[in-house]
Amino acid sequence: MVETAPLKPTADPTSGHTVSRYDRELAKLRGIILRMGEHVIEQTQAAVAALVDGDESQAFRVLDREPQIDYLSLDADEEVFRVIARRQPTAVDLRIVLALSKIAGDVERAGDKTARIARQALELRQMEKPAEPLTEAMREAFRRLDEKACCMFERGIEAVATFDVTQSLTIFEDEPALYAASHEARQQLGEQNPPDLIPRQTICLLTSAHALERIGNHAANIAEQVIYVALGQDIRYRNREILIETLRHRGY
Amino acid sequence: MSTTVEAMGQRVGAMSAAELSSRPDSRATVGDVTVANPRMVCREVDVWYGSKQAIKGVSLDIGKNEVVSMIGPSGCGKSTFLRCLNRMNDTIDGCRVEGSIQLDGQDIYDKGLDPVPLRAQVGMVFQKPNPFPKSIYENVAYGPRIHGLTNNKAELDALVEASLRKAGLWNEVKDRLDQPGTGLSGGQQQRLCIARTIAVSPEVILMDEPCSALDPIATAIVEELIDELRANYSIAIVTHSMQQAARVSQRTAYFHMGDLIEVGETNEIFTNPRHKLTEDYITGRFG
Repeated sequence: MVETAPLKPTADPTSGHTVSRYDRELAKLRGIILRMGEHVIEQTQAAVAALVDGDESQAFRVLDREPQIDYLSLDADEEVFRVIARRQPTAVDLRIVLALSKIAGDVERAGDKTARIARQALELRQMEKPAEPLTEAMREAFRRLDEKACCMFERGIEAVATFDVTQSLTIFEDEPALYAASHEARQQLGEQNPPDLIPRQTICLLTSAHALERIGNHAANIAEQVIYVALGQDIRYRNREILIETLRHRGY
Repeated sequence: MSTTVEAMGQRVGAMSAAELSSRPDSRATVGDVTVANPRMVCREVDVWYGSKQAIKGVSLDIGKNEVVSMIGPSGCGKSTFLRCLNRMNDTIDGCRVEGSIQLDGQDIYDKGLDPVPLRAQVGMVFQKPNPFPKSIYENVAYGPRIHGLTNNKAELDALVEASLRKAGLWNEVKDRLDQPGTGLSGGQQQRLCIARTIAVSPEVILMDEPCSALDPIATAIVEELIDELRANYSIAIVTHSMQQAARVSQRTAYFHMGDLIEVGETNEIFTNPRHKLTEDYITGRFG
């Protein structure tokens, strides 16, 4: 009799190879991406602080540190090449390598968005007037959008750490709230626009709102790749509501 | 809306199969063992060596013009199963085969069936090239001659040339057909053995680790040949090389401790196997 196999994938699909070095190579690749993710979360918070509170030092810090994410992205690419060349991964290993490669791209682009927000924060206050371009309501709207985008991105990175389907679903479930927060920020900008806010400043704020929304989108892309690894199904471009409903129904 | 949900449910049904499944019944192979156009049909095949059961209720079709690879750890029964397909196990004392194996609808274990012509119809290429200690020409001509497949020397010459051409060896040996087959390189010897198998007009060619004794260049040539032979023959190949199985076959069967665990399209098996044992083996986690 063949022993009954477990119903679900093991907690860590990168482990358990007969060649333990293979485990270490996959763990190294994932570790690089987790580090990139941590940087992006810190960068997002700092960039939004620069935008909302006018803290220029935070903006400069974000711009200084942004290349670190790019360099880590190069390291991730190199590790992907090495693993493919040395191990010729198949099945779940192949999915892990392909998914981590795509996730690295998403995290790197999310890092670019944080730098974009930091540049907008600097430009916003380089204009002569008004002294304070954001009303209190606008600040609140940006903080809510930041909180939603950051929370989604953080959960995306956590999901990568364990290839967790349930965690990924919560990110999809948060997408409507992300779009609502983004819409609210833009609406505040339209309705409560200070009378002397010049068009360039309006563009800076719109660009920042869009960048934050995109960080949330990158989190959803990451969640798609996590599900691809865990379940072996490419769920991109599928109807989110039906996907969430069916996977929840299956106990995730 | 309900239709869409149903469609999604079906897709998720495929998804749940993609999860690493349990296998409550050890004889329930994951995947479809049948093909639309079968040449050999094996059903519930059991093989014993004395009291030890080596194959447990294996069912598998081998289709026309396809290459089926059989993979699995040492001792899993893949070579034993391959040898059942042309009754090579008949020569092993204490070996007992049960179940049904049909070639074009005929039971190959029928008591009235002579295994010698069967082994011409279902030829075998072995792990180590084993040319006869005869000339290159005689290595290929031997089978057609004893099976009476030609009427005269001219026909035999033509058959030898055609077989060597199909095996991709003609241009390399046409000027030295009278020299010993054992004088060829390892890769050439293996192609000579393939030519010898082809010469008796088989329907199915069985290959038991045909490239394990060859260098990468000779392996590539034999793999290219396997792909060409598929146009005219059905091929079942046992290999320990995952990459070779992925490269040469259209379907792959994974054996484990005498059970056929999973069978499916090679692309699926190597990207998204449905059984955990298959995944563990092909990803190098089998311990």
